[in-house]
Amino acid sequence: MQQATLDRPATSERVEPRSGRRSTLGAKDRTFGFMIALPAVLLFLVIAIYPLVSSIGTSLYDQSLLRPERTFVGFGNYTSIFGEFAERLGTTLVFSSLSTIFPLILGVALAILLNARIRGRTILRGALMLPWLLPGVVVSFLWAWIFNDSYGVLNHLLSMVGLPEVSMLGNPAGAMAAVVIAKTWHSFPWIMVVALAVLQTLPSEQIEAATIDGATRSQRFRYISLPHIVGPVTLVAVLEFIYNFGNFDTIFVMTGGGPGDSTTTLALSLYQLAFGSYELGKASAMGVLWLVLLAIISSGYLFLNRRLEK
Amino acid sequence: MSRSRDVGEAITRPSLSIPGRVGLTLLVLFGLLPIYWLIATAITRKEDVFSLDRPLFPVNPTLENFVGFFQNDALLKSLVNSVIVSSGTALLAVIVGGFMAYSLSKFRYRGRNAMMFMFLIGQLIPGALLLISLYLMLSSAGLLYTYTALIISFTTFTLPLVVFLLKGIMDALPDDILEAAKVDGLSRIGTMFRIVFPLVVPGIITAAMFAFMRGWSDLLFALTLAGPDKQTLPAGLTQAFIREGTADWPALMAASLVTSLPLVIIFIILQRYFVSGLASGAVKG
Repeated sequence: MQQATLDRPATSERVEPRSGRRSTLGAKDRTFGFMIALPAVLLFLVIAIYPLVSSIGTSLYDQSLLRPERTFVGFGNYTSIFGEFAERLGTTLVFSSLSTIFPLILGVALAILLNARIRGRTILRGALMLPWLLPGVVVSFLWAWIFNDSYGVLNHLLSMVGLPEVSMLGNPAGAMAAVVIAKTWHSFPWIMVVALAVLQTLPSEQIEAATIDGATRSQRFRYISLPHIVGPVTLVAVLEFIYNFGNFDTIFVMTGGGPGDSTTTLALSLYQLAFGSYELGKASAMGVLWLVLLAIISSGYLFLNRRLEK
Repeated sequence: MSRSRDVGEAITRPSLSIPGRVGLTLLVLFGLLPIYWLIATAITRKEDVFSLDRPLFPVNPTLENFVGFFQNDALLKSLVNSVIVSSGTALLAVIVGGFMAYSLSKFRYRGRNAMMFMFLIGQLIPGALLLISLYLMLSSAGLLYTYTALIISFTTFTLPLVVFLLKGIMDALPDDILEAAKVDGLSRIGTMFRIVFPLVVPGIITAAMFAFMRGWSDLLFALTLAGPDKQTLPAGLTQAFIREGTADWPALMAASLVTSLPLVIIFIILQRYFVSGLASGAVKG
């Protein structure tokens, strides 16, 4: 499931319209405002923030689900899994980059095409939302079935038109392609909807004025529409990338990380370490390294956010 | 290509050229053919799927695969679990998130920006990172393998989205309305429940839908925190069809369809709200 909110935080306090209410916020109002925020904040601290912090602790121990006691090993876990981490990171980067680029191209292209005057626009737009609505597990099973070597419809169609059959899930490159295609199919509608919403807000007077001044269609697109679209779409792309970075279900269902470990991403690796080999310490170390990386990516995201504040 | 006389309309909504039409057709086929295949396989007999000529259209359509789903106790139990967990998630997320959104939108106090920042970053935390600590924490709290564990986890993960969506809509509410309510002697809680929330119903419905979908679709936590007894459909499907290594694709596609249908129905009913909620909350023009 992926969605993103493009609401930008008031990192630099926006200038609020001076209304009487703002300045007359009494102490009681302030207390009330704080109180109603508490349930959400507490939930978040306990379920999302505390586990992050405590996983740093766990990563310093040799801890297993099979044994009650744990032994302190310092950075031992880190040194033993670093090679694996680097390898999984490479796989994850390949998967998440491709799974971001393709839906982005497809989604934006569809939005632009569907923005034209064609019959059945609304129906198409609604129907194309379907892939995004399906749970990730369903999407993965469906594509695993389409790509099935012996009975899959893809090979069936290929042999019908006389082309050689392909074995997608049986080899490393094919398996990676398969999960990327499945993920692309799952994600493009979301990007399409965002892009369409942005296209609705295009400054039509400006575009008309430019036309009257003799701008060609491609110039209009390049100088008016494109700058308008770039901001929100970039944000969606960054978020999409981060979600894909943590993707679990697509790969777990379609390939289980195989063949070999060719599609084993960080999320899968962490799951296998923790719930396959019960190595909680090593899995936590993997998570902490990932967290550090995420902090770096997030800073980039915030930086973008601030730049696009305008 | 015929140029329309109506200049304004033609510029902002040009008609499609031939390459445009071809591209659109291809993209639409990529988008919709797999859906067709999902449905077609689900109503095909098992023996037809594995026959030599493998028809591309269901020749002898059957409902046996769906009947099979509803005769499978384990899958039925997963379905019930999914309904409970997802509804609970939607409800809790909207209540807790609604309060938070109202707080961030209309009140100023110390720590407000820190909270907002925390939620913004929280959106980016992948579930896998929390998995082990959550497992240990819930296990020591005696909450492992309960509905509660799943509901509070899924609620937390959807909160950032719910909060920012609702906050975006509440930001547009004029302060005069709240002022008037105050002058009329409505309490703060009364204002929230009788003025603010009713005004943002489309947003609340959209947010509830997102939260429901989150609970309905998640696999990772359903696999690890739910246990065999409380597992939701995604986990149930993987247990039934991967673990046992079955190749009964029609049955799997039928089960997948049953798993997807509630989301599609919800979306169709709420589509109007969904689009307006999304446009006003998530995408600031």
